[in-house]
Amino acid sequence: MAKYVVTSQKVTVNGTDVSDACARAELVLNAAEVETTDFGSAGWTEVVGGLKSGQLTLDFHSDFGAGGVSNLFQDLVGTIGTFVVIAGGTAASATSPEYTATALINSFTPVAGAVGDLATFSVTFPTTGAVAYATA
Amino acid sequence: MDIQAIRQQIAVNLATISGLRTAENVPDMVNPPVAVLSLEQIGFDGAFNQGLTTLQFTLFVVVSRADERTAQRKLNQYVAATGDYSIKSAVESDRRLNNLVADLRVRSVTNIGSLQLDDQEYMAAEFDVVVYV
Repeated sequence: MAKYVVTSQKVTVNGTDVSDACARAELVLNAAEVETTDFGSAGWTEVVGGLKSGQLTLDFHSDFGAGGVSNLFQDLVGTIGTFVVIAGGTAASATSPEYTATALINSFTPVAGAVGDLATFSVTFPTTGAVAYATA
Repeated sequence: MDIQAIRQQIAVNLATISGLRTAENVPDMVNPPVAVLSLEQIGFDGAFNQGLTTLQFTLFVVVSRADERTAQRKLNQYVAATGDYSIKSAVESDRRLNNLVADLRVRSVTNIGSLQLDDQEYMAAEFDVVVYV
């Protein structure tokens, strides 16, 4: 195992590889804190893990060309999409694990950017159901 | 990504300016009026899997200073944002460079004034051109 610089992560949306339009990917997995503090907690709060949830954030370069990522998201708002993110590589392995999540595509910003800037957009989607983890 | 083809296509765009020579590579000697394209910097990994590479060129435009007023008038036309002699308009006339790149932009022009080359005095300006591949 080694530390790595992010250059070649793979991101797919409903099976379409959008890696070359994606500049940042972040998948956060959470577990709710359920408090179990009682008189026996000796003055400290106590918690246990509750329901798990996830959040996927992706930063894209806008592209309305044929097969472009902006066109892809245009028709997906309001649907459940399947997202695959491979950390630190383009194929799943022990050192570049693959996360598969289904998420609600609840927003899309087709137009963003100031004059002179590269046109970009960011999306943050809540996952639904389990997030799968694979190393092969 | 074919950098030489990108240079050539920028030169093609510049060829729409009447009377302006274009050197897609840096020449040993200048023969004004001439636009000389110099690749300054390449930024890699703008997106995953080398999905975005950024090339930054400096485009030097050099005019003869034999007649200072004529030189200044000519340079004023080249540095203007619009017009038949506008470098910005010409370079951005095909921003996809015949589908070689995603986009390009002439961001600014600086160092507008005198330039000394081989003991010769010229008028010149430097255009900052960014190309997204």
